[in-house]
Amino acid sequence: MTLSETLQSALDSGIRQIGQIIIETIEGSYVLHHIDDSETDRSALTPYSSPEDAREIGLYGPDGEFRFTKGQLDLKTGWLLTLPDIASLRRALDIFYPASLGLWSAYKNGTIRVQNLRDKLDRQTGMYRFAGTISDAGAQDLVQCLCGPGNNCVKKILWKLDDDTPLTDSEASRFDGIPGDADEDKAIPLVCQEACNFFVAQCRKRAKNEFENASA
Amino acid sequence: MSAPLHECALLIVGHGSTENPDSSTPYYNHADEIRKRGIFSEVHCCFWKEEPSMREALYMIDAKEIYVVPDFISEGYFTTEVIPRELEMDGPITKVHGKTLYYTDPLGIHPAMSGIIGKRAQNVAPGVAPEETTVFIVGHGTALNAKSADSIKDQVKALEESAIPYASVQEAFMEEEPFIKDWHLNATTPNVVVVPFFISDGLHSYQDIPVMLGFEKDEGLAASQKDVFRNNPYHLQDKTLYYSSAIGTEPLLADVILDLVSDFQTEHLSA
Repeated sequence: MTLSETLQSALDSGIRQIGQIIIETIEGSYVLHHIDDSETDRSALTPYSSPEDAREIGLYGPDGEFRFTKGQLDLKTGWLLTLPDIASLRRALDIFYPASLGLWSAYKNGTIRVQNLRDKLDRQTGMYRFAGTISDAGAQDLVQCLCGPGNNCVKKILWKLDDDTPLTDSEASRFDGIPGDADEDKAIPLVCQEACNFFVAQCRKRAKNEFENASA
Repeated sequence: MSAPLHECALLIVGHGSTENPDSSTPYYNHADEIRKRGIFSEVHCCFWKEEPSMREALYMIDAKEIYVVPDFISEGYFTTEVIPRELEMDGPITKVHGKTLYYTDPLGIHPAMSGIIGKRAQNVAPGVAPEETTVFIVGHGTALNAKSADSIKDQVKALEESAIPYASVQEAFMEEEPFIKDWHLNATTPNVVVVPFFISDGLHSYQDIPVMLGFEKDEGLAASQKDVFRNNPYHLQDKTLYYSSAIGTEPLLADVILDLVSDFQTEHLSA
């Protein structure tokens, strides 16, 4: 099954949300808007009609900050994107939430390749090699400082520190990847199959602090 | 036997940035241009610093065969170490996770780049006589990546040997000799064209190099707010200086990406 077919099947089964986006099917077209604009008069929303418009819509948060990770909980409101077919819908979703459709499909099928944090850090080279020296406590603390909706990221974390060390229970470790109140069978969760490279960069900083504090 | 291109995906790999939204723009533009031509079944980008990451990218691709093009300016740490590691490639052709990956050379070392630099130099200084013009191709320059400088030296040589009769074509660097800050000492012509040899516009092309050239103050405005490319020419040091945006922003680079794919097929996939 192609990803477009997977997406079509998901919509046919009643799925209507991914991340902070609602997908409606209206007269053969797909109409996307922010979950917080569900009650907004459509005429008050800025219309868009190309999948590539997703880049402009998702580039900055409401505060003007660059959204360099797309799982951030700050997709701006006020837009309405109408797309003519399933291929352009898939394209737009891959810009709003890169690879999330494919990651969810693999997660659902049990074919996703999850990499635990220690393995991810161990494969780093160059300036990021030092990130691997972070303590378990430091890494657990970073998850609670950087991940989860409380820290603006709404992905469902699939990884552990290592095979024997799950993440410490927290809002971040428990989050299901679905912002808002949608039921699990009505939304595609955003899944995090390994720590992002921003997290790795923060591990490096924390590891340096730990080293300097231990040396002081 | 490889599949025809219309059954294959193209995956453009870029660096990206957590701070500068302009950093990934050229990659998306190259992808959009190639997608419009309908050559591949899918065209995607992935990044080191942005999403999708290289590890995520394969999940968004239906095609079984994927041409992976490093949209980088030179061979070096990223093209020889990071990208192969992240995409789990062990050579030019790798079978991994049910896909076949074809790993091409990086964009910046392709011979066609010198023609694009020449065209960019002419466009940024329209009507200016090449015989009275020095072109500087500017890179970062660092002892950590000698191949970056080699790539620029190759382009200098190729542009010197091209049909455009520039009085002089020179390499220059931000952090090693010959320094771009000495441009006025090394140019003997009345006109100077400076082309940053980077994929993306960012602090280096918006601010660092303009400061070294002498027409910007080191004031730290947000990169997107800078307008350094629209105020040509600059009259400095008794010369007329024309400043180009990063060479990676050139739309013609989409053709170079296709050339890299074609070259790969010739070298690795011809029966």
